[in-house]
Amino acid sequence: MARANFSGTVHSIFERTINLTCSENGELYTIGNHQLDNAPNTLIIDVKGFSELGLSVNTPVITEDSTLVIGTDLRIWIQQATKWEGELPSYPCDIEGIDVLRRNVAFTKNYVDVYGKTGGMKMSSQPASPFEKEMSRMLIQRAGMLSDDLANNRIGSATQHAISLIGLGPGLTPSGDDFLVGLCSVYKMRNISSCLACPFFDEIIRSSQALTNEISAITLKKAAHGQVRESLNNLLSCMVSGSMEELVPALDKIIGIGSSSGTDILLGILCGLERNLEAGGNVCLPKS
Amino acid sequence: MSTKVVIKQSTYFDSVSLMSLSTKANQIEGVEQAVIAMGTDMNKEVLKNVGLLTPELEAAKTSDLMIVVKAATDELCESALMAIEELFKKKGGSKSATEIKYSTIDSAAASIPEANLAVISVNGAFAAREARKALENDLHVMLFSDNVSIEEEIALKQFAHEKGLLMMGPDCGTAIIGNVALCFGNAVRKGNIGIVGASGTGSQEVSVRIHDFGGGITQLIGTGGRDLSEQVGGIMMLDGIKALEEDEATKVIVLISKPPAPSVQEKVLAQVKSCKKPVVVYFIGGEETAVLEAGGHFAKTSKEAAIKAVVLAGANEDELNKRALNWPLIEEVRAKLTPEQKYVRGLFCGGTLCDEAMYLAMDKYEDVYSNIQKKADYKLKNIHESKAHTFLDMGDDDFTNGKPHPMIDPSTRIARFLEEAKDPSVGVILMDFILGFGSHEDPVGVMLPAIIEAKAQAAKEGRHLEILGYVLGTDLDTPNFDEQVKKLMDAGVTIASSSTNAGLLAREFVAKGE
Repeated sequence: MARANFSGTVHSIFERTINLTCSENGELYTIGNHQLDNAPNTLIIDVKGFSELGLSVNTPVITEDSTLVIGTDLRIWIQQATKWEGELPSYPCDIEGIDVLRRNVAFTKNYVDVYGKTGGMKMSSQPASPFEKEMSRMLIQRAGMLSDDLANNRIGSATQHAISLIGLGPGLTPSGDDFLVGLCSVYKMRNISSCLACPFFDEIIRSSQALTNEISAITLKKAAHGQVRESLNNLLSCMVSGSMEELVPALDKIIGIGSSSGTDILLGILCGLERNLEAGGNVCLPKS
Repeated sequence: MSTKVVIKQSTYFDSVSLMSLSTKANQIEGVEQAVIAMGTDMNKEVLKNVGLLTPELEAAKTSDLMIVVKAATDELCESALMAIEELFKKKGGSKSATEIKYSTIDSAAASIPEANLAVISVNGAFAAREARKALENDLHVMLFSDNVSIEEEIALKQFAHEKGLLMMGPDCGTAIIGNVALCFGNAVRKGNIGIVGASGTGSQEVSVRIHDFGGGITQLIGTGGRDLSEQVGGIMMLDGIKALEEDEATKVIVLISKPPAPSVQEKVLAQVKSCKKPVVVYFIGGEETAVLEAGGHFAKTSKEAAIKAVVLAGANEDELNKRALNWPLIEEVRAKLTPEQKYVRGLFCGGTLCDEAMYLAMDKYEDVYSNIQKKADYKLKNIHESKAHTFLDMGDDDFTNGKPHPMIDPSTRIARFLEEAKDPSVGVILMDFILGFGSHEDPVGVMLPAIIEAKAQAAKEGRHLEILGYVLGTDLDTPNFDEQVKKLMDAGVTIASSSTNAGLLAREFVAKGE
């Protein structure tokens, strides 16, 4: 899109977003309304909603004179679009920073207990059905095993347990995927104390192609490359160095994602940060 | 049992819609279980675990939407699937406001524009933020949560004051707004008396007594217990008086509080002085002179506050049954007690009821101990050990840390009661039983076995154990007031007709040589 030579088709249409399949690389790109935050592969435009624009799936999309043309009726002027590049914060490597992070992790755990939405990783006290109950049980169990593997540095087993979460859960982006998005975003922070080798992330990316839908897979792929939406970058920055006052609105923003997606992402983040706080010690220096 | 499946190929709905559809599908009549989920391998594994996987579902792709319905018959399955299809068309259609759960105050306020009050009960760490959101949405607030810092309380109350809104709380457990009791409250008739109360059970007691004397309530505005502290400065009480003064239906105002900070009392009484309506002031343990100088009507007890209010509101005092103290009963009980049985032990759910009984005892005795005593010398060092006359507010943080309030869970009080009943120096054990919204469904019932056991044990030891009970409630309350009283009387418990009489009877029962 930045090169203004995009071509593809409309993949899916929602109220606040539409997804486009790029014919060049097969990846999904999103056009979102102003309620959305910046994110990888995402163009934010000043529009109220997409559902009433008369678009349909498979409509061709091309670029023409700095304009994104969708079908015959929608043209988006992209000449003045500014490029956004998010960056994950650095994991703290001094005692004071670790103390702040530890405090914020404890606060976030409490916050998720109170405000987190149930139905996914957080089990409802009154599941709507045996299916929902079983799903939450499996999610919690598998996330627990993954967490345990990470704590004990069993990376092979951790990879398998991570894969067992892909595609598991309710909603458009299954809860297991959301959890892994949160977890990956932590392990992709600079200076993270417990490095995970590339194969872990590669395997997640590879498996997601087959195990979950395209919309969720692209989010997971980007997270496994350390690219996440702006609100997630902000939250991690607040976790690392923010005050309570800064942390709460950042948490609210994440909890507001989807139905239980935000909560599931947060639980993934907490899992990653807790494992790293336990590990402490070694600092993985950024590669020059 | 029948299971039907629909696969919607390459169909994407956002998560919120999917979750909403799934919830509604499970509520369709006749449906034992409904599943709406993406066709991933892992979700199929879940279906297999709950016995719902079919070959058709096995074939679903990750981009497909699986819909599974399990019901008693094929017909029920079919009709459920049709209903689900309708839901898809509506994409989460409309429901009446009473059925909708909102996850944020903002969304609730946006969806119910006619709403003007938010009742908030969340973890104290987040309570102030939620209250502020509500105020920003122009909602009056009743904040039930405690553990809110005094700085946050001040900021919230100042903000509410600027916006002309009520900020009841934090730690506000009782209010009656528009004849609806909020949190802990009683069913009292509508009338022309307005109350502003910084004491929860004190406000309940006065409202119930007003009802008993034939009067009724316009609004009962709670302030939260710290409102009359030096720091908060009575912001809510002052605004409450103002609101009731402007309310046409209110003819008389009653103020209820534990003794305010002197500077705050001054402010409140200045407002009483300028108020065009009669104001009854019941500051527990307070002084009469300042109130009278401000043109207020001083009440020493909750009963007196109620009587003065109903008379000012138009009742004929001569026709009131004021439920005078039963002196023959006092003599009768005194005769039953041994010289050693000198002490009152009060075990209260209601803090203000405890306060009132304690202050009445202090009028007569020196050695009155409590966990809420203002006099340092008489504040219990060890709350688990009574001394002389002891009055315990078992709803205080001392007792409720990490446990439910005794109005909800009576176990702590039961255990303490059995301890006190063994003490041969105890002449009377006084207990309150609070009825109404938010309270235990049978507060008397849960205490009865312990009462019967204690009475029997005392009789075995050759001593009379006087148990004095006060049931706070009206004839309109649930559980039934008369039934609760009857249960106590049948167990040999003496019944007081008000909080005031309970305190007076208790202190008189153990008086010696009069």
